[in-house]
Amino acid sequence: MASNYVDPSNDVKLSKKDLNILAWRSLLLQASFNYERMQAAGWLYGLIPGLRKIHRNKQDLSKSMKDHMEFFNTHPFLVTFIMGIIMAMEQNKEDRDAIRGIKVATMGPLGGIGDALFWLTLLPITAGIGASLAMDGNIAGPIIFLVLFNIVHFGLRFGLIRYGYYTGIKAIQQLKEGTKQISRAASILGLSVVGGLIATYVNFKTTAVIKTGEAKVKLQTDLLDKIMPALLPLTYTILMYYLLKKGKSPLTLIVITVLMGIIGKCFNVL
Amino acid sequence: MLTEALLIALWAGIAGIDLFNGLTHIHRPVVTGVIVGLILGDIKTGLIAGATLELVWMGMVPLAGAQPPNVVIGGIIGTAFAILTKQDPKVAVGIAVPFAVAVQGLITLLFTVFAPVMHKADRFAEEANYKGIEKINYLGLAILFVMYFVIAFLPIYFGSDAAIKFVEIVPKWFINGLSVAGGIMPAIGFAMLLKVMLKKEYVAFLILGFVLAAYMKLPILAIALIGSAIALYDFFLNKNNAAYREEEINDGI
Repeated sequence: MASNYVDPSNDVKLSKKDLNILAWRSLLLQASFNYERMQAAGWLYGLIPGLRKIHRNKQDLSKSMKDHMEFFNTHPFLVTFIMGIIMAMEQNKEDRDAIRGIKVATMGPLGGIGDALFWLTLLPITAGIGASLAMDGNIAGPIIFLVLFNIVHFGLRFGLIRYGYYTGIKAIQQLKEGTKQISRAASILGLSVVGGLIATYVNFKTTAVIKTGEAKVKLQTDLLDKIMPALLPLTYTILMYYLLKKGKSPLTLIVITVLMGIIGKCFNVL
Repeated sequence: MLTEALLIALWAGIAGIDLFNGLTHIHRPVVTGVIVGLILGDIKTGLIAGATLELVWMGMVPLAGAQPPNVVIGGIIGTAFAILTKQDPKVAVGIAVPFAVAVQGLITLLFTVFAPVMHKADRFAEEANYKGIEKINYLGLAILFVMYFVIAFLPIYFGSDAAIKFVEIVPKWFINGLSVAGGIMPAIGFAMLLKVMLKKEYVAFLILGFVLAAYMKLPILAIALIGSAIALYDFFLNKNNAAYREEEINDGI
């Protein structure tokens, strides 16, 4: 089952206490947020105690940590659900491609659900109650807001990591057969989500206007969008992919992108 | 005034961290209002100003990574000036605008310069150096704290007119350019992901996901469900085929 692990033993179990530690650490998910990998390093920060307990072989730990430094972004409250599932998979020493596929496939949808649930529902309701009390000079306003909000917040954070972990373990037991098939299914799912994320997350539009005599052509809406929506994000991602394959370092790509942004803004085309 | 300014700056640092990390929401104006009121010795005005500003910021939340005007600096400086100048908080919050914009600019800068740091983190991960990863995250928190601390301290201690000069040091074209680059940068993250995930046989699904989002404007959840449907179909088809082949072999024997 575990051809890509030095130590394929899967007898380590995470206790409730271990899971709680991971949930606490998930609070720093966005400590090292950046535009390139978004929450990746904070996500890895959260997983570290679990990964160290599971991967006693240093080479295995290194492989796993490297994988979890890849692009990651989801809703900061629902992240513990993904942590739970991924911990169950890591613990069972599942194929690394399968782990990556499941991670990528869950982060996008949970991000959207979380935005709707918390920023557009929970926050307005609880803050509305708090503000209406505070408006009358009642000190209970902020306190009631914090209590109501955080009961839901921490309840979900600590509840979901357990739910994710035990669901993950149960699902793995049912899917004993065919690691290859599971990785394949996870990759299919993961890549469809990545395709969607490229179109929605990469924010690349041109503001350039081409003047030909009397007529003004807005490059983005009159031309590019008619060829294909999200053409620039797709082209740029493929270009970056191609440069990486050619052996260019990601740092070079960052420098290129930053220069392009600054120069493009100065010439008013971005 | 120095003690009060330092205390408010300290609170701004803590609340600024809470905006992205912890998320207990002590950073919302309805809470920061009463704390600033407590520091400046006028809890009642603090409560009311905080509640007013809370309603101003209601609905201005970070959706899909887009940053609204900074709620922490807006709430704290708005309340502080409402108390100090005895103005209506809706007017006082106007004083906070250049500082909220400055914080947003600095956050853009931080999110850009932290991208190269990720390659240091890659090395730490490769060496299984978990302490290195932890330090990088603590560094991010420290930078956030200092940023909010300074930006909140300046207008309250020096007065808003004098402080605006400090926050306009960084040129706008630079920050705007970074912000454009920041919007494009996830492309690098996805390209790195594709480098490890993409195999010829899977290209079809990448195209599918892209078309569903770009042309059909489907939300990511819908795309994930369609992806799951295909993955499940493929999974059981392979499994049945495998079982069938096994049967054939057994029959042959």
